[in-house]
Amino acid sequence: MANRKKVGWYLIFTVPLLLIFTLIVLVPFVIGIYYAFFQWDGIGANPMVFNGLDNFVRLMEDERFLRSAWLTVLFTVLSVITVNAAGLAFALLVTSKLKLANLARTMLFMPYLIGGLILGYIWQFVFLDVFTLIGDVTGLESIFFNWLNNEDFALFALVFVFTWQMAGYVMIVYIAGIQGIPGEVIEAARIDGASGWQRFLRITVPLLMPAFTISLFLTLSYGFKIYDVNLSLTGGGPANATELFAMNIYNEIFGYGNYGYGQAKAIVFFVIIAAITLTQVYITKKKEVEM
Amino acid sequence: MAFNKKFVTGMTFAATISLLAACGGGGDEGGSEGGSGEESEGITIFQTKVEISDQLEAAAEAYTEETGVPVEVIGTTGDDYAQQLQIRLNNGTGPSIMSVQNAEVAERLESYLYDLSGEDFVSNLAPDMGLMLDDKLVGIPYSVEGFGIVYNTEMVDPADIADYDSFVSTLEDFNAEGINGFGLSSEAYFLIGHISNYPFSLQEEPVEFMEQLTNGEVTLTETEEFLRFGEFMEAIRANTPTPLNTTYDTQVGDFAAGQTAMIHQGNWAAGMLEDFEVDFEYAMAPFPLEGNDKLAVGVGSNWAVNAEKDQEEIDAAIEFLDWLHNSETGQRFIVEEFGFIPAMTNIEAGDLDPLSQAVLEASNSGETIPWAHNYYPANVVPNDFTPVAESFFVNEDMTGEELVENLQAAWENAAQ
Repeated sequence: MANRKKVGWYLIFTVPLLLIFTLIVLVPFVIGIYYAFFQWDGIGANPMVFNGLDNFVRLMEDERFLRSAWLTVLFTVLSVITVNAAGLAFALLVTSKLKLANLARTMLFMPYLIGGLILGYIWQFVFLDVFTLIGDVTGLESIFFNWLNNEDFALFALVFVFTWQMAGYVMIVYIAGIQGIPGEVIEAARIDGASGWQRFLRITVPLLMPAFTISLFLTLSYGFKIYDVNLSLTGGGPANATELFAMNIYNEIFGYGNYGYGQAKAIVFFVIIAAITLTQVYITKKKEVEM
Repeated sequence: MAFNKKFVTGMTFAATISLLAACGGGGDEGGSEGGSGEESEGITIFQTKVEISDQLEAAAEAYTEETGVPVEVIGTTGDDYAQQLQIRLNNGTGPSIMSVQNAEVAERLESYLYDLSGEDFVSNLAPDMGLMLDDKLVGIPYSVEGFGIVYNTEMVDPADIADYDSFVSTLEDFNAEGINGFGLSSEAYFLIGHISNYPFSLQEEPVEFMEQLTNGEVTLTETEEFLRFGEFMEAIRANTPTPLNTTYDTQVGDFAAGQTAMIHQGNWAAGMLEDFEVDFEYAMAPFPLEGNDKLAVGVGSNWAVNAEKDQEEIDAAIEFLDWLHNSETGQRFIVEEFGFIPAMTNIEAGDLDPLSQAVLEASNSGETIPWAHNYYPANVVPNDFTPVAESFFVNEDMTGEELVENLQAAWENAAQ
């Protein structure tokens, strides 16, 4: 009796979710794989021509796609480092005995609450007006200029804004991890004469591994998939210097009207993200220690 | 506690069921659209020109009042119109009336375009203005539009921008005074799309030239007009602030504020200038590439009827277009509310702003060059030309000739 009741509850909570997930994730995903083998412009009434693996062969030689892939990797690596470094630093700061810790926590989390699109437009203004103004006033025009109009710096601008947005979010994850570390362990280490740095490196970091697993996973996958900030901050420009994966796929499908080819890119994109994030989770999981 | 559990269970089931019902309902709506007559009572309009959204809704209301046929106008932001239309057509919620920008787009959407050739009201179409696909008339032009150099008459004498040398020295003078001599803006068509027309339009047979270009029979770098165009672009880059920091709004706004002497814009910008209540006179001059003295005049977009709908709805859509172009109320909307320069011979142009007046005069006298960009490969401007123009404006050491070379490469990429 009790068991059957449990199954009932189980179904109530999972079936609706499973249904939605199937309808809006699994089904389109499978259809997407199917489309990837066709040459098609995405208009229902126009013919779909089966062309086997041609789409996949073609993308190996697509320079714009390869460049976009490289930019995405660069962007993701840079932002995973900066987001997690900043997030961890913030978390340590607000869990210390700082008087304004609560206020700081709220303030640091705030950027995450702003939608990526709006955020991009806000920072467009910051780079255009504030940065050039700072450059004019301080004379440091080689650092403070409109980064968005420079093919090299535009990507850093993107990393900067993404960090600004995401650092507060991973900070919350790290705070939860830090608060889960029992005080007696730290205290014992202190009595044993461990310095602050040693305590951080030998105790906090190993015990924080579960938080690292989650944060790295989140930032890796968010970084690879980024679209909103990319669209509103740089729009892929200047001269496609910041056209990341997701935007490249979108442009292929809706700009050039190559639906099948775009789908092929999206499938490859999925495989890459899945491979990288799963590897990361596997590695960091192994480093997690049991208390 | 028991009550609570039951309550929660009930709520969850209710939520699930209503969700499923909602899904089912949505599916039904999509399915019935093609066949049954459920929706044929009214028509839907989805169109690209944001400037007339409110006015079109008012026109739709007026039409419903007169005839009792409900008309729904679906909103758009303009930029993503093509994507939204594609999605709607594919999932079966396509509009009865849509806008089709040019022949390239029409070719893609061919199976959705109803042949309007036989309809009565198209007999008033100005010559060569209809959107043709093979022998079929598939689009009715919105209006005649034109672009060129919009200048502040207090700051610029049109004689000073009549050829390359005077144009450049005018830019240099303004630059020395700290005034933006010539404003472009960062959006694809305002950055390169419109201005790239001139070297194409100045060819003797622009459409033929573009076909030859696609076939590799001619190259841009060997064509005089393009090399001169490159020089113009170099002069513009050297003497004005970068257009990449400017949006359409700031471009027109700076002009209205007197901080910019000339902008490259069309008569559609007049509405915004009127909103600013500018206190100076402005006018439109031709872009002086190779001594060009004509404005570029063409059709921005076309009304088309969705052929996938059932006949009843198609007829209703045609009746609406007929009403818009032939009834007194409809014509009043076109001229006064939309502010269009009509492309129909039976509609009198109203009181026009100075820019539209210039376009109308040019159009009536035939002293115009065509809009070549309506014949470009689909989406070449946002996809391929814009990145080229962006890199031209951020790299000071890229020459005008290299710009033309890159435009050639961009064309090849888009036309393949």
